[in-house]
Amino acid sequence: MDKRIKTIMSIIFEIPVDEINEKTSKETVKNWDSLKQMDLVVALEEDFSIEFNDDEIITLDSFSAIKKILGKKMDEIN
Amino acid sequence: MKYIEVVEKNKKLYDSVKNEKVYNIYILSNLTLNRLKDYLEYQLRVEGINCNIVLGTYDNVVQESSKVGNYDLVIIFWELSNIIDGLNYKIELYNDVQFEDLLNQVNSNIDLVLKFLENTPLVFVNKFSYLPFSNSHMKSSKLENFSSQLNQHLMNKHQTNVKFINMNDIIARLGLDNSLDLRYYYSSKALYTNKFYEAYSKSIKPFVLSIKGKNKKALIFDCDNTLWKGIVGEDGFENIEMSLKTKDGSIFAEIQSIALDLYNKGILIGLCSKNNFSDVERVIKSHPDILLKEEYLAVIKINWDNKANNLRSISKELNIGLDSIVFIDDSPFEINLIREELPEIKVLQVPDQLYNYPKMLRENLGLFYNLSNTDEDRQKTIMYKKQVIRENEKNKYTNIEDYLASLEMKITVFLNNNSLIPRISQLTQKTNQFNLTTIRYTEAEISKFVLSDSYSVFAISVTDKFGDSGVTGLCIVKIDKNEKTVIIDTFLLSCRIIGRNIEFVFIDYIIDYLKKEGVSVIEANYLKTTKNQQVEEFYENNSFLLIRNLPGSKYYKLEVDKYIPKNINYIRIENG
Repeated sequence: MDKRIKTIMSIIFEIPVDEINEKTSKETVKNWDSLKQMDLVVALEEDFSIEFNDDEIITLDSFSAIKKILGKKMDEIN
Repeated sequence: MKYIEVVEKNKKLYDSVKNEKVYNIYILSNLTLNRLKDYLEYQLRVEGINCNIVLGTYDNVVQESSKVGNYDLVIIFWELSNIIDGLNYKIELYNDVQFEDLLNQVNSNIDLVLKFLENTPLVFVNKFSYLPFSNSHMKSSKLENFSSQLNQHLMNKHQTNVKFINMNDIIARLGLDNSLDLRYYYSSKALYTNKFYEAYSKSIKPFVLSIKGKNKKALIFDCDNTLWKGIVGEDGFENIEMSLKTKDGSIFAEIQSIALDLYNKGILIGLCSKNNFSDVERVIKSHPDILLKEEYLAVIKINWDNKANNLRSISKELNIGLDSIVFIDDSPFEINLIREELPEIKVLQVPDQLYNYPKMLRENLGLFYNLSNTDEDRQKTIMYKKQVIRENEKNKYTNIEDYLASLEMKITVFLNNNSLIPRISQLTQKTNQFNLTTIRYTEAEISKFVLSDSYSVFAISVTDKFGDSGVTGLCIVKIDKNEKTVIIDTFLLSCRIIGRNIEFVFIDYIIDYLKKEGVSVIEANYLKTTKNQQVEEFYENNSFLLIRNLPGSKYYKLEVDKYIPKNINYIRIENG
């Protein structure tokens, strides 16, 4: 899952996969604005066949947060 | 298609189109549409168009339209509900004066924008849609009323560079729930889903293809089970269906009507089918139910040559590129042959569920869209026909061995197999075209052959990478042990497997089998019917010596030692 999240982030934000780590967040990625945030959410939803609600979307602002929330959602499904 | 795939593929596609002339597109909108850009880019790059798409700033349509520079296409994506903030709910509370005031204001904005864009080669304007915020009332909402008045105003503009996009149609196809993502509407003024962006891009693509001269110009049909129900060479002239009289027939009547409509719009219609020419000729000349008569057909290729060759010569004779041709067939074999040999041709397969066939064809009609020409000349087909006659040349020999080899064909031989008696009998009764003697046998007769020492019955089934054809070939030999002679009584292949060199492997096998049995001389004959001319020289072509040639029948002898096997190495054969 981590790898897939990184791949998606790398495509959306146009940064190399290996530059994405636990510290990667809205603050460290130049490209990460509200439009890209929207693209990211939709891309993650399509890829993992889930849907985030409003509260979750707001907190999706770093690689570690995405991993955490996505992990939780996937657990709920399984 | 998933958004991430689109973005990834766009990068790769860019390399394939970057040397093409740039097609500049500007999108003006009062919505956030960043993902539409990616989807549209993808749809056009796939067609080889090097598009450069620029999104205008949010909700700045009028001002920006006044200073759009040298763009090839401007798209006006004006969302009704956001014409003013919250229009979708506010308007229901408007009084008549407020309603009229706003209507006049928007109408004059439309006028302004279109005036500013007068010199842009092509302008797409979305027709206004109230559907995203429709309600379930019986009475129409003010929003609906407002949208229809705006659309009326749009329709009264007769500016030749302006085309209207039917938003309601796009939304209806997907359904509202699939079209809208309201989560970002209130915060970011993004309203639509990726599915919508994809559908929208697909719906405007035909206009762009047309302006780039990439629209399709000819529609070529296979015949049996593509233009009518049934196989004319097998089922007969009287039994093929293409009229309202039968369930399946009515589907083919609809298909032929769609083709006629295309003919009226200047699209060239043609036939390309493996059949006896005279069988098909009779249908298109005199079948009581045929709509797509001979006079509407620009080109007719009815023969036993492979279809890739035929389509090549159609392209040459009509003097249009392969990439201008759409070909429809019901056979996965033919569809894949064309896909592999002539990828430029757009191929459509008759769907498994026949009732989906007209829908499938209608959904592909955008391929033929012609922006510049709305009143086409019916003479076009006649003109092309003459050109065809002039330039008609002998089919060139082209090697399809590579394609056949890629199929991974395997023949299984069943010798004197009891359980296949019904199918074997049926094969003798139904097979007309690839049938050397056309002798019909009942199940009882076949049963006798299977049990008798004087007969050997070889049935074959063929599989390839696309699937199993079932039992589709048959050879019956009569053995006279005392006189040491063998006669090939029956040799046939169902039309489902002809054109793949199966017959050569099959005859190689038979000869080899008999040779091992100690047979030295084999007799065979060809009995002519109205349907089996394609195998007239089958034995000549397989080392047999013609010893008697009578009207309607030919008799052959083969000295087994002189047989030259074809040894086709890409078809495996084994005992079942």
